[in-house]
Amino acid sequence: MTHSTKAFYWMAVPALLLFVVLHTIPVVTGMFFSLTDYAGYGKWNFVGLQNYVSLFKDDRVLASYGFTFLFAITATVIVNVLALGIAMLLNARIKFRTAFRGIFFIPNVLAVLIIGYVFNFIFSNSLPLLGQSLGLDWLSTSILANKDLAWLGIVAVSAWQSIAFSVILYLAGLQTIPAELYEAAGLDGASYWRQFSSITFPMIGAFFTINMVLALKGFLQAFDQIVALTNGGPGTSTESVAMVIFRGGFQGGEFGYQMANSVVYLLVIVAVSVIQLRTLQRKEADF
Amino acid sequence: MFHLKQVRAKALSAALAAALLTSCAAPPAEDEVTLSFFQFKPEAVKEFAGLIDEFEAANPGIRVLQNNVPDPDTAIRTLLVKNKTPDVLTLNGNASFGLLARACVFADLSQEPAARDVLPAVQDILNANGRCSGSEINGLPMANNASGVLYNPELFAKYGVSVPRTWDELIAAAETFKANGVAPFYMTLKDAWTTSPALVNLAAQLQPEGFFDRLTAAGADRNTSPVSFSRDYQEVADKLLQLFHYAQPGAAGVDYATGNKAFADGKSAMYLNGSFAVPAIRAANPDARIASFPYPVTNNPGNVTVVSGVDVVLAMGRDTPHRAEAQKFINFLMSKDVIDKYAKNQSAFAPIRSAAPQQDTALRGLASYFTSGKVDGYMDHRLPPSIPLVNITQQFVLDGDKSRYLNTLDNEWFKVAARMPNRGDQQ
Repeated sequence: MTHSTKAFYWMAVPALLLFVVLHTIPVVTGMFFSLTDYAGYGKWNFVGLQNYVSLFKDDRVLASYGFTFLFAITATVIVNVLALGIAMLLNARIKFRTAFRGIFFIPNVLAVLIIGYVFNFIFSNSLPLLGQSLGLDWLSTSILANKDLAWLGIVAVSAWQSIAFSVILYLAGLQTIPAELYEAAGLDGASYWRQFSSITFPMIGAFFTINMVLALKGFLQAFDQIVALTNGGPGTSTESVAMVIFRGGFQGGEFGYQMANSVVYLLVIVAVSVIQLRTLQRKEADF
Repeated sequence: MFHLKQVRAKALSAALAAALLTSCAAPPAEDEVTLSFFQFKPEAVKEFAGLIDEFEAANPGIRVLQNNVPDPDTAIRTLLVKNKTPDVLTLNGNASFGLLARACVFADLSQEPAARDVLPAVQDILNANGRCSGSEINGLPMANNASGVLYNPELFAKYGVSVPRTWDELIAAAETFKANGVAPFYMTLKDAWTTSPALVNLAAQLQPEGFFDRLTAAGADRNTSPVSFSRDYQEVADKLLQLFHYAQPGAAGVDYATGNKAFADGKSAMYLNGSFAVPAIRAANPDARIASFPYPVTNNPGNVTVVSGVDVVLAMGRDTPHRAEAQKFINFLMSKDVIDKYAKNQSAFAPIRSAAPQQDTALRGLASYFTSGKVDGYMDHRLPPSIPLVNITQQFVLDGDKSRYLNTLDNEWFKVAARMPNRGDQQ
């Protein structure tokens, strides 16, 4: 063993130990409890796969999966389209470029809960006033109180907040593209759109992939913004999977059952991320 | 003096930390006993601190450490998981308390002197939520709330409306206010739980006798159950919807705090809430005119009851090493003077026979029903907390789809019954 590999072990092993103790062991313990009827306290019985069977028959759980995917996919598309557009504007030669970059990053620094409560006020009080004065029926009451529109409010707030982070990643990507490529394309008479589709987008493919994966994964775990905006309402129409797990497992005394839900959800998120990485990486440009 | 007290508090908390670290099994070396007291109400911390000072002065050798945390229902579970059941605790007498009592976490208090003074109807409600075994009493009620219709006596006098004693009179009163351009009720549908006061009162008087006992006994099979929400809650749902038809425009986006303020400022004649809203309404407007009457749900005034829940339950850890001291503290908290004082300061109802009569004008309309035992428990305390009752009810009053509402309740009930066959009511 050389001196330098030893140093690597000295650095990696404590981190690994911490990870195993604080992350892996709790995860495995949780997986074990998904096979019991544990309430979070008191006695428990081993119930085998009963929780998993019940899970697939529980329409409330299935509805939460439906909502979460609808929300996550919509938000991911919106965030990436807008973030890429904003990043290109911020990468152009404009006045006060640095100042604009700073301003567009602010939403990322604010806490989601605070943003959520501010937007809650805007949706419940300010927008209805605007809707009333414009005579728009659908806007004259709080859209968060409308079970068909409430999810769009959550999408809007989540997108507003997470665009900032995606913009940073796209900006970093855009700066890796050599300027000569655009010069050559300009000499060849390529249109602006042609430059974007043939140079810019392929060249930042890796950043597009990572942004898509991170955004989708983040939105699939949505929790705090929903707590601040609708708390799962009206009714149960905006309950995300994470919220059902928290409510049923910690407040509802069905810890074991919701652990089963968590395990299934973990597998779902891992599967989605792997599929996404595979398909998107194939489309990235090699150079 | 102040400085000394701070030092004492610091020393105490250090001692507590040490005690927790070395696991609480070991009793302190001196003859002084420290009771850990889990107190769930953030708004009553000062109240209890005063009571503890009084108790400690009268009982040298016993120290009481009050412990108040946010989200008490979750916090108590984490303590239980770690086998750190507090010596004495207060909790809300809800379904969550019932589940803990059923898990035999609390001591039997049926032999305590204080238990004999408790109003039997109130103790029955608490016992029905759950207990360790058939004859035990796992919690003593220290303060109760009551759900009723709050009303503005000025507006009632102005439009010549007298206090309704039947359902038809209630609807007639609502129509009178509506015709005069006054909102009959102020609804706050943004907060899902504010639909439940009306629901629990309708359910208490309209559901068949022993509905939940029979539903529990039916187990997981919906088809053979003698009772169900779809069959037995039709009238409850109809009348609930009828009340919520009187909601002011935009009610779906209004929250509880806004509602309290609006009612306090006389923007509606009635408010479907309970005694617990009175302090909040007075905080919004100290001059608010508030009075109350119980929900007249049928056209027979003799049927009227008040739905009351135990706001503060006193319980004792089942295996506490300081049993005698804990008993002493509980009996102190259950004494007439303490309960009367607490009820007065917190706008609560005193659940003991010897209590002083209710002085608060806002609550007087409900008091006689309470003391004469015409009380029912909260129906939602009999539902497993994993069923999102208030959210499902909020959905219903917004979309008015009765068959879907009742079907959802049945569906949720029997799903939970199927998931938790070993966790049913084992009384």
